[in-house]
Amino acid sequence: MDSCVKITNEWDIVAARQLGRNVAKDLGFGTVDQARITTAISELARNIYLYAGQGQVCIEKTENAGKVGLIILSEDQGPGIQDLRKAMEDGFSTSGGLGAGLPGVKRLVDEFAIDSTPGEGTLIKAIKWLR
Amino acid sequence: MRIPILKLHDCLLISIQWELDDQTALQFQEDLLRKIHETSARGVVIDLTSIDFIDSFIAKVLGDVISMSKLMGAKVVITGIQPAVAITLIELGIRLEDVLTALDLEKGLEKLRRELED
Amino acid sequence: MRKLIFNYVQTHKSEILGEWINRMKQEADERAVQTMSAQMFTKTSSEFIELLVSNFTETEEEFQSKVTGFAEKIVRLGWPLTVITLGLRIFDHIITDGMQEEELVDHHNFMEFSSEFERWMFPLYNTIIDAYAYTWERTVSLQKIALQELSAPLIPVFEKISVMPLVGTIDTERAKLIMENLLDGVVKHRAEVVLIDITGVPVVDTMVAHHIIQAADAVRLVGAKCMIVGIRPEIAQTIVTLGINLDQVLTTSTLKKGIEKALEMTERKIIEVEEEQ
Ligand SMILES: Nc1ncnc2c1ncn2[C@@H]1O[C@H](COP(=O)(O)OP(=O)(O)OP(=O)(O)O)[C@@H](O)[C@H]1O
Ligand SMILES: [Mg+2]
Repeated sequence: MDSCVKITNEWDIVAARQLGRNVAKDLGFGTVDQARITTAISELARNIYLYAGQGQVCIEKTENAGKVGLIILSEDQGPGIQDLRKAMEDGFSTSGGLGAGLPGVKRLVDEFAIDSTPGEGTLIKAIKWLR
Repeated sequence: MRIPILKLHDCLLISIQWELDDQTALQFQEDLLRKIHETSARGVVIDLTSIDFIDSFIAKVLGDVISMSKLMGAKVVITGIQPAVAITLIELGIRLEDVLTALDLEKGLEKLRRELED
Repeated sequence: MRKLIFNYVQTHKSEILGEWINRMKQEADERAVQTMSAQMFTKTSSEFIELLVSNFTETEEEFQSKVTGFAEKIVRLGWPLTVITLGLRIFDHIITDGMQEEELVDHHNFMEFSSEFERWMFPLYNTIIDAYAYTWERTVSLQKIALQELSAPLIPVFEKISVMPLVGTIDTERAKLIMENLLDGVVKHRAEVVLIDITGVPVVDTMVAHHIIQAADAVRLVGAKCMIVGIRPEIAQTIVTLGINLDQVLTTSTLKKGIEKALEMTERKIIEVEEEQ
């Protein structure tokens, strides 16, 4: 069921969240979690589009000790994030946005890991577990 | 795709029926402001009943549209925000603090009437 | 050798049981033994020994299902895991001692005996502990679900006015559930004002206050107003002492005042009607 969406333009953001919404629905997530997942994907995909120019978002199913979860992987070879700690703060934005994206995604999912190297790119892994 | 804007007396009604992509959202912002200018509308109701998620970008566009309308003398009421959408907005940290809200379009119009009276 | 052990156990079943009960009473945690009547204890004990013995004759599946059944029973009865491990150890000792006493086992065949015995007891041990742990976990998670379900009903008291009484401690998981119930209820009952009654919440710390503020915000987004009622003096004190800002949320001390206010907000009030004589 692994599948990825390449992000190169604004329409790909729509495609990525549609994929996420469908997978979430198939896995049996409720409406609130579907909204959380769709929103998280939208944030990550838009960040790729805005700051890295291109990259990809992958949605995978995962299982651990009988629990089912959905993994969102967001990956780009863009400029990377200069100050990760700042980027994770509410309200920090280099583009005049609300600065709600990254800290918000972290709150929307159950597990969140970010790895970013300036000049090399950014990799973000987020997991939402089925309750 | 353009979002239709209806006129009802001195109010504008918008019911967003599809998932908003970035372009449509920005286009909507522009169209609405132009329409407020053309019609001298005093109130706007935006119904989001069919919207199943709002991310930080759309939230910003909405917030901006509300502030801009206010500057042009029109009050905005947002209606029909679904529970799931409200929860994700709060978790994103977006409070839309000074926004008027109502359960549905009908109640939104009522609220607008009351707001415009006093 | 296995046969030897089997024969011994089969023929001495009732003695083993008697001995086992005696030693359990001496050694086990008082609490565990006293939670049930002597009669019940004897009955459960004999079931336990029966179960261990039946391992010789049953197929693996049959045995597995028996163990699961037994595990469910003792978890329900409240036997702690330590009683089970102690019980298995005592069972082990009784048989070893008994077979040595009858000279079925001596220093020539002791090695063979103990390795065979081990080969029998070890998987038995695992199966029983596994079943116990599984049952225990399931019971706990079922209880948790039951608790969550009963924890936050939204009650429509008047047209446009609903009340959600909160009882008990609020953690992050419960807070999320409460929020979902609250918003779904507001939309379903078409409430214009919801009162969250925190009379039954023992502690309001910064985390709980944070959840309450978030809930109030979310209620506003879906198009209703939220009021926190049941703020006891000590809670008012902690809120101010902790520097929590509830300015944006409507609050009152009692549910009664809250309802009056809510009626006012929806342009209604309660009037007394004089009874006609
Ligand atoms: N994939 C990325 N590559 C490089 N920089 C990034 C990436 N994602 C985020 N950033 C940086 O981190 C900052 C914070 O991102 P975040 O998504 O939290 O806020 P935003 O995109 O600025 O605003 P919002 O998401 O609220 O519209 C961004 O302003 C940007 O500088
Ligand atoms: Mg962003």
